[in-house]
Amino acid sequence: MAGYSTRVRQDIARWLDKGLIDAAIAERLARDVDENERRSLSFGAVLSMMAALLFAAAILIFVAANWEAIPRLGRVAGLFVLILGGYVGGALAKARGHGFIGEALWIVAVAAFGGAIALIGQMYHLAGSEASALVTWGAGTALAALLLRSGPLTVAAVGIADAWLVLSLTGSFDIFFRLIHVPSAFVGALLVLFGLSLWTRSQPARHLILLSLIFYGAALAVDRDAAGLSALMAAASAGVFALAVIAPEPVDRMVQVGGRLPLHALIGFLTAMAIIQIELVDGPGFAVAAPVTLAGIALAIVFGGRVSRGLRWLAYIGFAFELCLIYAVTMETMLGTAGFFLAAAVTLAILAFIIVRVEKHMKRPSAEGAAP
Amino acid sequence: MMSDKRLIVSALVLALVQIAFLSWIIAGRAAILRNGTEVLLKVEPVDPRDLLRGDYVYLSYDISRIPVRLIANIPADRKTSHDGPLVVRLKEEADGYWRPAAAWIDKAPEAAPPGEVDIAGHIFAGWNLGDDPEAMVSPDYGIERFYLPEGEGGAIERDIRVRPFGIRAAIAKDGTAQIKALVDGDKTLFEEPLY
Repeated sequence: MAGYSTRVRQDIARWLDKGLIDAAIAERLARDVDENERRSLSFGAVLSMMAALLFAAAILIFVAANWEAIPRLGRVAGLFVLILGGYVGGALAKARGHGFIGEALWIVAVAAFGGAIALIGQMYHLAGSEASALVTWGAGTALAALLLRSGPLTVAAVGIADAWLVLSLTGSFDIFFRLIHVPSAFVGALLVLFGLSLWTRSQPARHLILLSLIFYGAALAVDRDAAGLSALMAAASAGVFALAVIAPEPVDRMVQVGGRLPLHALIGFLTAMAIIQIELVDGPGFAVAAPVTLAGIALAIVFGGRVSRGLRWLAYIGFAFELCLIYAVTMETMLGTAGFFLAAAVTLAILAFIIVRVEKHMKRPSAEGAAP
Repeated sequence: MMSDKRLIVSALVLALVQIAFLSWIIAGRAAILRNGTEVLLKVEPVDPRDLLRGDYVYLSYDISRIPVRLIANIPADRKTSHDGPLVVRLKEEADGYWRPAAAWIDKAPEAAPPGEVDIAGHIFAGWNLGDDPEAMVSPDYGIERFYLPEGEGGAIERDIRVRPFGIRAAIAKDGTAQIKALVDGDKTLFEEPLY
């Protein structure tokens, strides 16, 4: 967050230059600024973002209500004022050091832009799909993020892109063909947004982009009904995982996700393997896919588990899911209540045993290297 | 770090660009309403369950189903439609409604003669273009929705099933259609202002 903290840091540098303070004090001051900044981010940012999102929802629902008491040109003008006031007011607030308020006002402006698109669609009875309206809205939001170099707006643009994907998936179940429209342009949009997130320095946006990519891959794999595609996705995830574990620094310098790329790769791998196994459930292929999944989870813990507790827990969840899946597939003929409970108990016991063992093992050699 | 002044200027430029973009869409639509050729289209009764989604009525026109035999330029090797434009030429009939006289994939070979008008439609891939004389395709024209003030959909939803309604639309030179008014016989129910 810019503003106050940036200026203080500049001041500290100047004081250091002039010899008013020594290097040790300068570092302590800078660290104190950093810490306090983070604390205020978690509180002020959350509250102002929530307020902005509520306001945004109010704008959009107000437009949807199509209230005739205000002539529609009046409603358009109102939205234009919100756009202008939101962007410029946000920039002014940011320039005065109120970073969160600035970002929140920008969110409101972007919502007003989306509301205006919806209102024009309503005014002229445009029947073009909501998907194309979302594309326009998302492009406008991305442009705003670019010009204002705003992280939250980048996240908003990714969110709108996701909404577009979901709408394209659910909104075009054709009556005549089982044809789900998976827009391949989504990947292009994600790439552009990824570049944008590097410019706006928005790590949350990059996490969301990676998750969106996995979701897209899963949708595509389910749609095309091809084991090849999900196998490719699993292999690609494994490859990314390997890269991220072998060369963590260069890879993270490239994608800049705070060293959490292995986590995303594991999510991608587990998702792909789940699709493969559900597709192969009745065939002999399951007997291959299930051990591959288990091996993948084990390898993930061995190679990536030490540095990341999040990755370990994800692996445990994947492991639990896998045990349930294997149980359901192999034992479903005698799936009585008692049998199920027994299996659940055994599963949990195995899981607990393994987690305890692994966690103990991970803690012993290097406690200081543990990342969240 | 971006300087404060540049940030404010960026915000101002951004706001003006977005407002200009929105105004441009409004101006374009208003121009169609003002200058477009006016046609009267019959609205077909729609499956009532599907009629009202949220705040708009879903409209299906009699021109929403075009017999394949009207399409003049189907390539010989094409058995099903590709996703893309379908131009439909409308002609006014004795009852005042405009109905399809011919249609072309992609674009019409020549401009519509006086008394006729081309409307730009879009068909999805997969429609059967084969020999079946009864075969139909279902183009969209971008005018399949009619937004209503909250709570006013019920009456129209009821009436539209009893008797046919009409839509008066304006069609621009490039074929873009724009709803002008919802009419019930001779009575205009909703007339759209330019803005």
